[in-house]
Amino acid sequence: MPPLTPPKSGDALFASVDRVNAELFTLTYGAIVRQLLTDLEEVEEVNKQLDQMGYNIGTRLVDEFLAKSNVSRCVDFKETADVIAKLGFKMFLGVTATVTNWDAEGTSCSFVLEDNPLVDFVELPDTCQGLQYCNVLSGVIRGALEMVSMKTEVTWVRDMLRGDDAYEMRVKLIKQVPEEYPYKDDD
Amino acid sequence: MIVCVAVVGHQNNPLYLQSFTEADDALKLHHIVHCSLDVIDERVNNPKRSAPTLNETFLGLLYPTENYKVYGYLTNTKVKFIMVTTDLDVKDADARNFFRKFHAAYVDAVSNPFHVPGKKIASRSFGVRVSTIVKSFGSGTTG
Repeated sequence: MPPLTPPKSGDALFASVDRVNAELFTLTYGAIVRQLLTDLEEVEEVNKQLDQMGYNIGTRLVDEFLAKSNVSRCVDFKETADVIAKLGFKMFLGVTATVTNWDAEGTSCSFVLEDNPLVDFVELPDTCQGLQYCNVLSGVIRGALEMVSMKTEVTWVRDMLRGDDAYEMRVKLIKQVPEEYPYKDDD
Repeated sequence: MIVCVAVVGHQNNPLYLQSFTEADDALKLHHIVHCSLDVIDERVNNPKRSAPTLNETFLGLLYPTENYKVYGYLTNTKVKFIMVTTDLDVKDADARNFFRKFHAAYVDAVSNPFHVPGKKIASRSFGVRVSTIVKSFGSGTTG
């Protein structure tokens, strides 16, 4: 067997991928949200669209992540969450998240982000108080995990734009879908 | 002590106006800000010196009135910052420093995707930052 390359650390991963100027990224995301608000007018619709966009991004992102980071198969959901928090967020957003609030069965946890490049300079106006500005992130996680056979549900618990002290999203594993083969073995 | 700061857009439309004294003087301060706009226009249209001044953002003392001194700062997008102060001796470096910090706060406020350029600045955190900058004006002479 050829020698396996060890998985990279978060910082090494971040340094090895192409990066873009953080302000350009923030301003582009802000422009997307603004345009969605102008086009759709309903805050709930915008939340759904952001989640859908995130889902589409996540399904594609997970392949790039697995290819570049060389992580081995995760044994359980706890390890998955750690990998997402330390390597996933670091590679794509440049920040690490902390994983907290595990429930008794180990199927539900929270990712806490102190620092979020999507929301630099942003202040929600009074007309958009129901807007979940970072909803694209919840879509990304949901999409990525679905591609590795885990159905999850992601909700936002704390949001700094609404006055909380950090960003917290709750990820709940609904079920692990085993891989289905398109043919039966006994045929 | 700074009594008033203002941000005026390129069409001389007010974008932000904040006074830091008791309300009685507020109207007079707004009037002073208005008059200083004329002084800025004059300075911009008739440059005293040649090319080097054209890029100058800090306009310096615009005009001293009875109790106040008015300083101006022009950004490259023709947005003007006006500062009215009651201090009798204001160091040039202090004023420049003030406007530099003010410019940074302004840029952050305008980068908010929900801010419409040309409309008034509605950001609460901009107001808080401006108050902090105003409070630290003059007292931090070493900084």
